[in-house]
Order: sequence, then C-alpha cells, then structure tokens
Amino acid sequence: MTAETIIQSLASGLLMGLLYGLIAVGLALIFGLMDVVNFAHGEFLMIAMYATFFLFAFFAIDPLLAAPLVAAALFVFGALVYLCVVRFAVRAKANAGMVQIFSTFGLAIVMRGLAQFFFTPDYRSITHSWLGGKTFSIAGIYLPVPQLAGALVSIAAFTALYFFINRTDFGRALEATREDAGAVALVGIDKNRVFALGWGLGAALVGLAGAIMAMFFYVYPDVGASFALIAYVTVALGGFGSVFGAFAGGIVVGLVEAGTTLILPPSLKSVGIYAVYLLVVFIRPRGLFGSL
Amino acid sequence: MSITRRNVLLGATAVAALAPIAARAETSEVAIGVIYPFSGASAQIGVDAQKAFETAAEIINNKYDFDLPLARTEGLPGLGGAKVKLVFADHQADPQKGRAEAERLITQDKVCAIVGTYQSAVAVTVSQICERYQIPFISADNSSPSLHRRGLKFYFRAAPHDEMFSAAMFDFFDAMKKKGTKIETLSLFHEDTIFGTDSSNAQLKLAADRGYKVVADIKYRANSPSLTAEVQQIKAANADVLMPSSYTTDAILLVKTMAELGYKPKNIVAQDAGFAEKATYDAVGDKLEGVISRGSFSLDLAQKRPMVGLINEMYRAKSGKDFNDYSSRQFMGLIVMADAINRAKSTDGDKIREALVATDMPGEQTIMPWRRVKFDEMGQNNFADPVLLQYAAKNFVTIFPEQAAVSEAIWPMNS
Repeated sequence: MTAETIIQSLASGLLMGLLYGLIAVGLALIFGLMDVVNFAHGEFLMIAMYATFFLFAFFAIDPLLAAPLVAAALFVFGALVYLCVVRFAVRAKANAGMVQIFSTFGLAIVMRGLAQFFFTPDYRSITHSWLGGKTFSIAGIYLPVPQLAGALVSIAAFTALYFFINRTDFGRALEATREDAGAVALVGIDKNRVFALGWGLGAALVGLAGAIMAMFFYVYPDVGASFALIAYVTVALGGFGSVFGAFAGGIVVGLVEAGTTLILPPSLKSVGIYAVYLLVVFIRPRGLFGSL
Repeated sequence: MSITRRNVLLGATAVAALAPIAARAETSEVAIGVIYPFSGASAQIGVDAQKAFETAAEIINNKYDFDLPLARTEGLPGLGGAKVKLVFADHQADPQKGRAEAERLITQDKVCAIVGTYQSAVAVTVSQICERYQIPFISADNSSPSLHRRGLKFYFRAAPHDEMFSAAMFDFFDAMKKKGTKIETLSLFHEDTIFGTDSSNAQLKLAADRGYKVVADIKYRANSPSLTAEVQQIKAANADVLMPSSYTTDAILLVKTMAELGYKPKNIVAQDAGFAEKATYDAVGDKLEGVISRGSFSLDLAQKRPMVGLINEMYRAKSGKDFNDYSSRQFMGLIVMADAINRAKSTDGDKIREALVATDMPGEQTIMPWRRVKFDEMGQNNFADPVLLQYAAKNFVTIFPEQAAVSEAIWPMNS
C-alpha cells in the first residue's frame, strides 16, 4: 500500500463524508426540533434527485443552477408534509411514538410507489452537465469535480445554517421551540409555524444534497434507501438533534468507511462504520455532540 | 312485457350473440406463476420481464406464423386450446419474500408451473418451494452454476450458466493469445450474493487452469453508495482484462467511478447482468465503447432468422426497448414451459416434469443462437452455446465464437 493510495482513500472519504453530512442534517434538524424521526428522509432525497433530473431532461437546466430551485421546491414540500401529515400524527392521543413512526414510514412507501408508477423503475442519469464526469487531479490524487462541488456546497450550507440558527430571530425561535414548545407559545410564537418552517428547512437541505448527487449518481425510486441508512447512522453518531453533530458525524462516517477499505476487503467496508457507531453508543449514548 | 314475436326474435339474437362469449369462457386457462422483482432496487428488470412474458403469452395464445412451438395454434392444443394465464408475483430481490410468494402462487393461485427470477439468490429459495410442492420451475435467466447441482427434480434451466459463460470468455482469451495478443493478468470485480460469488469462483478456477494471473479479486457489497475504494484497488492492479459481475446499479457506479479516478481499463469482459441493460448504456455508454459482455442472445440473429426481428418488434411495442440478454431468455423460459405443459396434456406437476425431461427443441425453433433445448439429468440444457458481444458504435455485435461472429473484436477496447 502506497502513501498515494492512503491519501486518495482519505480524500475520497472526506468528500463523501461531507456529502453524507449534508444528506443527514435535515434529519437531525427535524429530530432536534420535535423528536420525530422522518423515515421518509431517503424518499425526500429521491424526489430531489428526480426533480433535478427532470429539470435537466425537459428544460436543460444544469444541476448546479437547478440546486436552488430544487431546494426551494423541497422547502415547500417539507412544509406541506408537516402541515398535511405529521401535524396530525403528533396529535395522536395514544401510542404517539408509533403513530409518528408509521405515518412517516407509510409516507415513504407511498412516495416510492408513486415514483415507480409515474417515473417507471428505470435508472436515470444526467449524462452531461457542467461538472459531471470532470476530474481534478494533483500528484496522482483524483478528486471528481461534482463531489468536490458537493463538499463545498456542504461546507457553505453548514456555515449558513450556523449563522441562521445563532444569529436570526427565526433561528432563535427554532431553538426555543426545541427547548420548550409549551413556553414559546406563551411568548407568542406559533409552534405550528415554526415546525412547518423547520420541516421545510430540513427538506430544503436534503434537496440541495439531492441536486448535487444527481450529477454523479443514478436516480431510481429506491435510491434513497441506502443513503437514508447512512444518514440515520450519521445522525445517531453525531448526536440526535445536533446540527453540527451531523456535520462531524458525516465526516467521521466518510473517513471510517474509506479507512476500513484500506485494511479489510471492500465488501466489509460498512463494518467499520457500524463498529464506530457501536463504540459511540456504548461510551457516549447521546452521540458525539448530542445534548439530550 | 308481453311475449311478442319481435321480443322472441330479439332474445334469440341476444343469445346467439352471447353464445361465443360463453363458449370462450368455458375454455379453461392454465395458470403459470412468474416471479420477479417488481419493486425495490431492481424493479426495472421485473417491469421489462413482465413485457417479455406477455409477448410470449400473446404468441402462445394467438396465431402467428413463426417457427416457434405453439405459435401457429391458439392456446395449448394439448389441453383443448386452453389459454396461458400469467400470474405475476413480486419478490423484491429478497430470497425470503421469494419463498413466501412462490408458496402463495402455488397454494392460492394454483399455478401449475413457475418461471423466474433474475436474482440467483432468489432462485435458490423459489426452487426449493417448487420442489416441495412438486411444481416444475424454470430458471429463465439465473446463471449461477450451483443452482442445478442441488439434486432438485423439478428444476430446469434452458439457458447457459456462468461456468459455460466464463469458459467462453477464456476460450476467447486463448484464441486472442494465439493471434499474438498479450493477455496475462485479470482483475475480478464481483458483487457479494450467489451470482457474483459463483461467477468469480468459476473464473478463478478457469484462470488457474489456463495459466492466467488474477491480480485483483474484489468482492463488493451490492447497491453500494460508493465504489471509490474498490475502484482504487482495480486501478492499482491495472490488469489486462477487467471482469465485472455486477447488477445494473453497481455497473453504472463502477463505470462512473473509474472515469472519476482516471482509470481506463485496457479491456472489460463482463458477466452480463448490468452490462446487458440499456440503462447502463444510456447512463455511461460513452465510456463503454468496446466493452465485451457474455450473452446468450444477439439481435444479429434476426439477419438469419427473420422471426427474431418480428418478435423483437412485438416486444418493443410493449416495452419501448429491444430484446436483451435477459428479456430474450425470459421469453424462451415461458415458451419452453408452455411447450412442456402442452405435451403433458395436463396441469399435473409430475406429468409436466416428465414432459420437460423429454423436451427436445431444435435451436432453429427458438429465438436464441442455441443448438437445441434438451435437459440433462440435473435439469441443465448443455446445448445452449453462449456468445460474446462487443458494444461498438452504440450497438452490440457478436464477436465470439467464430461460427456466430459477425465482426472482429476490437482489442484493446479503446483502440
């Protein structure tokens, strides 16, 4: 094994990890806000990828330009999901936890089924885009440009999110609602509105990730499943509810995944991720940055 | 209403008009189970397969002037013209769901035979259920060699398996070496279920027997979100030939990742699967010029056997795609099964099994380049000769074996 192989692995792992973080942050945000795990998170990603694909296929809009449009569309979609589905699920008088799980899980199945019905199960790809298929290489280390762009977008999104949550009124309202939803009602903050915007924001972030991913990954109705699983691990690793935990968790997952393949056969690369995850759960059950 | 002459006449006319419908309803139907992934990661395969089976059923149930068993008659003459009815079931690429669905097809839908399954891993469980209920099973498109070696009496496969396919690849390498081409090292790249494992085992054994050096043997997890680490290893090995055994999703990702990491393999000789699918070529076809895949079907055959082209047209009208290695084998799977049921003159499992054992269908009466369809004692058809196809100028052309070849191989692939 050469130094080149190790650097290449870790660089690829870092790029992938930043993207994993961006995919997972919406999940962490929604969970932190209202203790609801969105089991349709992978399907949100799928919808975003399809939206990017169709914008490209019908209007020749490059995924890079489509990204803000897709994020905006997903924002509306996320808010609607809260207002039309989740709002009622959290009101359940009995077995509230189960009702929430099944409502988002059911939503996932419906979305997957509808996608297969309307879009057919064919694998779609964006064949040529500004960045797609381009590779940047220094000293024998190859960095694919779409993933590089994804990593930059991820860092930018997390920075923006940091300022948004810490420096704006809405961000503070978000934090306050998360701390004590009952108390914020007393100071005149509409809980439903904050939750709806929170869902919108979470969905918009995964929308951004989906648009970037559509540049280098194929799209089909089940595409969300394998990424959603990694997103759940990322969130649990980084700490449930912590936005920056998702960022750190994503990087850890990406690096551990890449590092594992240097030692173990590639078919066992998930073993590293789950081993680290188990370790965190044993030693620090709330996750690396969890505050619960 | 009084009974007038006019009403009697009207009534009689109505009865006369309805009579043929009633008579038609009396003709029995023969239910055949078709078990495929209609949802989940490989749903695209199932949806295309459904169209292939429907094309076959249409040819069996109606009159067509093709030199194909049951084409020139309506329905199954051996069963009084009974029509073939397909009952589709979804296994979602999951062996356990396959087991449950096969059981449901047999006990509730009363199918007399089952055809399946795309994933070899699912064929394992489905064929076990069929064996228990003594219902014949045809592996239309499963290629794992271990499937027919389990001593099952109700298991049949008309198509070649991966040892035959891999042998063809190594025959091809040997032939190329004789012409003075340098082929010494191989990289194997295969997914981790029975398909990839069996395929790589066959290739490892052949490589050892014939003196090729395997410089990388990468087993990866199917449906991976990223294959970067895997590709780095095959890039480092940089063998003369890369031999992938991958389903569609991984095939697309493999080719994309190779390009991203700046690796241009000298040659790719693929174990079909993802490398036979239109989706792969739609996505990354520009990077696959010159890729070679094994197959059991080629549209070239239409030049010699016009019905292949005509049946392909029927399939394309339904699916919008040309027959590929999978849809053609699926089509033949149903034809072979229906032919046996017709000769058995019964829907009894044992009788159909006996008819399958007695099958001897000349190659010209199929849409495949096979010599014939005749099963050995393990239910495998050893007369199904594989071919190697090369993707060149957006088309697949047969390049091996020589008697079937329509063009010389481009080697190395990028030349």
